[in-house]
Amino acid sequence: MQAFNTTNDQSKTSTFPAIADSFFSWLLVIGLIVGWWALSRNISDLVMPGPLTVGKSLAEMFVDPVFLDDILISTLRVIGSVIISVILGLILALIPARFPLARVIVHERIKPFLNSFPSVGWAILAVIWFGASDFSVMFVQVAILTPFCLVNLAEGLRELDQEILEMGRSFTRNRIRIFIKITIPMLLPYVIAAIRIAYGVCWKIALVSELFGAESGIGVIMLRAQTTANASMVFASCFAIVVIFMAGEKLIINPLAKLAEQK
Amino acid sequence: MENENEAARRLNRRAAHIFTFACLCLWGIYSSLVEAYVMPGPWSVAVRFTEFFSDANFIGHMFWSFFHILVAITASFCVGFMLALLPYYVTVARKAVDRRLTPFLNSFSGIGWTLLAVLWFGINDFTVIFAISMVLIPFAIINIREGLRQLDNEILEMGESFTRSGFKNLMLIIVPSLYPYLFATLRISFGVSWKVALTAELFGGDRGLGYLLNLARQDFDTPLILVVILIIIIFVYSTERFIFNPIQNKLAEHNAGI
Repeated sequence: MQAFNTTNDQSKTSTFPAIADSFFSWLLVIGLIVGWWALSRNISDLVMPGPLTVGKSLAEMFVDPVFLDDILISTLRVIGSVIISVILGLILALIPARFPLARVIVHERIKPFLNSFPSVGWAILAVIWFGASDFSVMFVQVAILTPFCLVNLAEGLRELDQEILEMGRSFTRNRIRIFIKITIPMLLPYVIAAIRIAYGVCWKIALVSELFGAESGIGVIMLRAQTTANASMVFASCFAIVVIFMAGEKLIINPLAKLAEQK
Repeated sequence: MENENEAARRLNRRAAHIFTFACLCLWGIYSSLVEAYVMPGPWSVAVRFTEFFSDANFIGHMFWSFFHILVAITASFCVGFMLALLPYYVTVARKAVDRRLTPFLNSFSGIGWTLLAVLWFGINDFTVIFAISMVLIPFAIINIREGLRQLDNEILEMGESFTRSGFKNLMLIIVPSLYPYLFATLRISFGVSWKVALTAELFGGDRGLGYLLNLARQDFDTPLILVVILIIIIFVYSTERFIFNPIQNKLAEHNAGI
């Protein structure tokens, strides 16, 4: 049995399969692109634009200043919404910790309500309530993201080491000091997790939130492209989001997580 | 101690009821201050709610949404299951699925799939089902892959020592060990699908609650918008509370028994 396990482990760590994995993964990507190209050759660009057409539209999005503006605005909104909803989630998670009476209110009323509220519902209501503006877009995003943050941060608060908190209390009776010096540092991994999840979800729903209530942003580009039957632009705006999402994860979220780990 | 806990719980519950009541009151007061189309009061929404359930046409839309969701969940579950099993049997596909396909599907937005599906297939039920399924597939892959990663090697080995039939091992050992993960997949899929279904039906459907929402939006029929949202909240919440939670507790008990 020991022998079986070691051979199994070896096959996982040796370099040959790793290269084969990489090779196969790129083969899949190339295969899909070639398949897409072959499929699109016989179909009109209006319905199924080829990879080249979409690539051109994508490049245009990142070069043309008009489109760049839209991308920038969407990105700024996403960042703002993530920050606001993490703070709101933290406040909501802290309320029951401070006032136990509110536990049922937060976890059995507010959380399930926000959690099951459909995102399109927020989008439509926001336009009726606030008109088309940056505020209504961010309102929709914050409304959708807050329950995700709340769930994560409440979990973090539950896992807090009570012994350490007690130690803190034996040193000082200043609650704010305990909160800043002990609770926040111990919560940090959960805050990072909340940011990561909120960031991922936010890009996905950015389009929904921008469809009705925005005058600018990637969602508007996409909707305009759809109404003018410009399929390559629809494709390109989807890919643009994938690209920006991955770039943000690599350039902002991952370094942030590392920074938190060092602390 | 027991009594104290019970008393505290009752107090919490009472506070929550007061909170709900206060929210309804605030809503009522606010709605009387603004135009009815901006914020209809709780009473007019309640009236609309009863009207909704006495109109066969509306109920029909609701059942179409049900149908879209059920088909999409089944389809995405099957596709996700197969895609998750692929790297398990064909190990070279591991990176292709985990690092290329899943992140791609996971970051592609649901609206994107809907708008593309409208261009490809037109406005019909298939478009809606396609869009919902494409959103659900990555959830299924991620969950089932995680389950496969947690499989107990010892038990797998035992299975291999009993039979060389891969299919038998799959059905009798792998799939039963995956039950908690398959269940989690269904649970997540159900919650997400309701929300996605609305978007998909709004842009790509000609029936269903999302379509109704679109009509209501165009007519500024805010009470109907709130009724549709309310129905979704009730469905999502009550399936969580009365179906998924009890099943999960049963599963946990069962596993604890082993």
